[in-house]
Amino acid sequence: MLARARSWLRALAGRRKLEQEMAEEMEFHIAARAEELAGRWLSPAEALREARVEFGGVERYKEECRESVGLRLVDALRADLVYAWRQLRRAPGFSLATASILALGIGASTALFGTVDAALLRRLPVERPEELRRLAWTAPRSGFCQSYSGDNWTGPNGEEISTSFSYPAYRHLRDRTSSFTDLFAFSGFERMNVTIGGEPRLASGQLVSGSYFPALGTSASLGRLLSPADDRPGGVGYPAVLSHGFWLRTFGGDRGVLGRTLLANGTPVVVVGVLPRGSCGVDPSWCPDLVLPLAMQPAVETWAGDVLARPGHWYFQVMGRLRRDAKDEPARAEAERLLAEAIRAAAPPETYDLPRVLLLPGAQGLEDLRNSLRRPLQILGAAVASVLLVACFNLAGLLLARVSTREREIATRLALGAGRGRIVRQLLTESLLLSALGGLAGVLLAYVAGDAIARLFLASERAPAVEIALNGRVLLFAAGVLVTVGVGFGLAPALNATRVDLLPALRGTRGTTDRAPRRSGKVLIALQVALSLALVATSSLLVRTLVTLRSQALGFRPESLLVFQLDPSLNGYRGARLLDFHERVLRVLEGVAGVRSASMSRHGLLTGSRTSDRVSVPGQEGLNADIHFVAPRFFETLGFPLLLGRDVSWGDREQAAPVAVLNAAMARRLFPGRSPVGERVTISGRAAEVVGVAGDTKFDSLRAAVRPAAYVPFRQSEQYSMTFVLRSEAAPEALLPALRRAVAQVDPNVPLYRVRTQVQQIAEATRRERLLASLVSGFSVVALVLAGVGIYSTLAYQVARRTPEIGVRAALGAGAGDVARLVLADALAPVGVGVVIGVAASLLACRMVESMLFGVTPRDPVLLLVAVAVLLAAALVAAWPPARRATRIPPMEALRQE
Amino acid sequence: MPERAAILPGTLDLLILKAVSLGLEHGYGILLRIEQISGQALAIEQGALYPALYRLEHQGWLESEWGTSSNNRRAKFYKLTAAGRRQLRDEVASWERFASAVAMALRAAPSEA
Repeated sequence: MLARARSWLRALAGRRKLEQEMAEEMEFHIAARAEELAGRWLSPAEALREARVEFGGVERYKEECRESVGLRLVDALRADLVYAWRQLRRAPGFSLATASILALGIGASTALFGTVDAALLRRLPVERPEELRRLAWTAPRSGFCQSYSGDNWTGPNGEEISTSFSYPAYRHLRDRTSSFTDLFAFSGFERMNVTIGGEPRLASGQLVSGSYFPALGTSASLGRLLSPADDRPGGVGYPAVLSHGFWLRTFGGDRGVLGRTLLANGTPVVVVGVLPRGSCGVDPSWCPDLVLPLAMQPAVETWAGDVLARPGHWYFQVMGRLRRDAKDEPARAEAERLLAEAIRAAAPPETYDLPRVLLLPGAQGLEDLRNSLRRPLQILGAAVASVLLVACFNLAGLLLARVSTREREIATRLALGAGRGRIVRQLLTESLLLSALGGLAGVLLAYVAGDAIARLFLASERAPAVEIALNGRVLLFAAGVLVTVGVGFGLAPALNATRVDLLPALRGTRGTTDRAPRRSGKVLIALQVALSLALVATSSLLVRTLVTLRSQALGFRPESLLVFQLDPSLNGYRGARLLDFHERVLRVLEGVAGVRSASMSRHGLLTGSRTSDRVSVPGQEGLNADIHFVAPRFFETLGFPLLLGRDVSWGDREQAAPVAVLNAAMARRLFPGRSPVGERVTISGRAAEVVGVAGDTKFDSLRAAVRPAAYVPFRQSEQYSMTFVLRSEAAPEALLPALRRAVAQVDPNVPLYRVRTQVQQIAEATRRERLLASLVSGFSVVALVLAGVGIYSTLAYQVARRTPEIGVRAALGAGAGDVARLVLADALAPVGVGVVIGVAASLLACRMVESMLFGVTPRDPVLLLVAVAVLLAAALVAAWPPARRATRIPPMEALRQE
Repeated sequence: MPERAAILPGTLDLLILKAVSLGLEHGYGILLRIEQISGQALAIEQGALYPALYRLEHQGWLESEWGTSSNNRRAKFYKLTAAGRRQLRDEVASWERFASAVAMALRAAPSEA
């Protein structure tokens, strides 16, 4: 087998040499024979002639030799390709259109698969990632955990699964485990204020235990990474490791960066190393700019205090590398036992149940990226696959018609003795060549698209840590799609074409037995219609969702608003100094020319974050409500009314009597039928007097209904970061330089972040919905156009074929209406079948997007009817021109064609 | 010229392997050698030798190299590979089984009943 492959490859590669040697070898034989013959009784010329006769046909034997080494197939293939190329060149419009459709389909699916490959399938770029496990826990009552920060989600049985651990518990596990070679802890995303050479900027940071990099097997591209020696607290100049990207962006890849001192949230750190390119730790959804030792937590998170010493603060995630001989279940049980010990040792003050520990697979790192991309990628994948299928069916239909026009050519070749397989192969070569052309363009398209798809669906603030690029796996996928598509749309027409009746085909008259291609044509139309309908129905739901979201009553006027955030706590501001900072900034902003009014609140509106807590009236059961921490003029600036009483004022300070403004929803719930002004409420356990009632607005998300809310003066409840809101007189973006100068007047080291207009903010909140709606709509338009072209061309072809029949009918007195009805009925029957299949397919497809919908159910009958109507209209538009042509066929001409 | 028997289909490969097993030889030489060792009794279409040679080489039973013939011309010489030697042994064995079976069948006389 091996010898054969080697010999075949050698023959293929050294084709010219093979040919030359073959000729030389046979020439030698003839010459040698001639010499021998001449030695007896013939003249040299006669001898040579005799030798040639004895040898036989040189060319024939050469051909047999080629066959012996397996070259005949290659030669035939080459001939097929040349012939196919000529066929495609003969119909350049058709070829170009086909290749473009395929380029689009294959390009989109390749780009999508590239994203799936990188985001959903890839493992972490670390040593033996399959040994990694992430620790998680679940407990009905978690009284051992007074403060929690990190991911949690609801498990399959409704239990709450948490992934953060306290540092003392982590240490207990780390020091006693026998199942893990390493257990390492790390924090989540930390926004950090980093000062480099006196210039402040926001960066992302991550705190990791010393065992983090050794356990992952990551080594530095420059300098060193952190090690267990860095777990010791205290000391001057903590070590900091930079990500490769941050090093390039901020230091221009300068190797002299080692030893430089930066300020991280005001604490000096010394750069000791740079991570290799593409190495971002265990969370593929973001890449930390700065990696610092966990021991530094008290110094960089001054607001949180020394969390490392507190058993009640569960802030850190834990992963481990399983010992090679360890099994999951014993390792899990051991971790559960150790965690129980740690919790008991801490003697929590509140009641609790001991947690059940879970070991999650860690080879792919944390789940965030996969969780946020899975659904959109599934939906897009289904949409792209549908378009590709529609394109396939469409091309199959076109080829079917085209091949029928080549009936005589094919019949001639069959009559001359070409095998059926040979013709099928020839036709398949043509369709494969087409799909290869389309596929090449498609791969190019995917290359250009790069990581665009992933970026579209991720929050703009954090760039994913995975590199999305064409790799071997993606190219293999593209090749697979290309071949499947080529065979898919080429095989049926090819089989059909070779099933011809030779005699009538050669004579150029059509037999009456050519129902088969017409039936396949109809099946293809029905399938295209069904898939297009499913796409149109799905996109109508997504568009409807978007429209509903965008037309939600906000309760305020978002135009001409600029928002940004400041967090002076990162610079060490606390208490009154912090509140004064916020107040001074606000007063400076109010004075900036072009600012109509300015205010601030903790989260702003529609930013995706909120604070909620219990609000109650003495003697009544309380309710959960949103809490806003605001400055004066908040309602005025955002443009919603103060209905009763007064606004929060500058006089509502720390020492003054606590006050609150309620929104109308809250006022109705707590004080039905009367004015709450002057009443007392308890907010987060603190009594306050209600001084006013404001209008209702959405708070954190467009999807959530208006909830009861309370507005609390910001000076009466200290908040670190604040979202500033400015109503401008002109375009809000134009204010920005003046605003930066104004903030710098108060403190030049506090950077502005999340700067955007309120309108942009809302657009950001509907980003995913907008993207899905526009992409799926785009795909459904493509599918619709393709299906229309399919109906048109199939019908046009059928009308051309039935010209004589129609002529006879016309001659026998059928009117234009009769003819049109005949043709349309023929065309619309498969459309009807397609619609029926399509409705079923739509109901299935719409279930898939159910979780993304808002204000519409996946079985909305009106939208489905609209989708059906759109499809029928498209079908009619496509069928009309051929039907009209049929009514104008002059009977005499039609009859003469027979 | 003695009368020659046309060779049975499929036996050409065996004859070539046998001829080449006697020593390094070029195509024409192989032809002569087969004629010689068969006592000039077998007729071979000369050109048909080459597709067979190419096939055997393709299967890894023969290998070839260019050299100089006895009359000082460039010629391609064939020799048996280890796999070819095994193949020859197998084919000889199966040929002998076949030949003796046919011979036995032909010796059968009508039974005297």
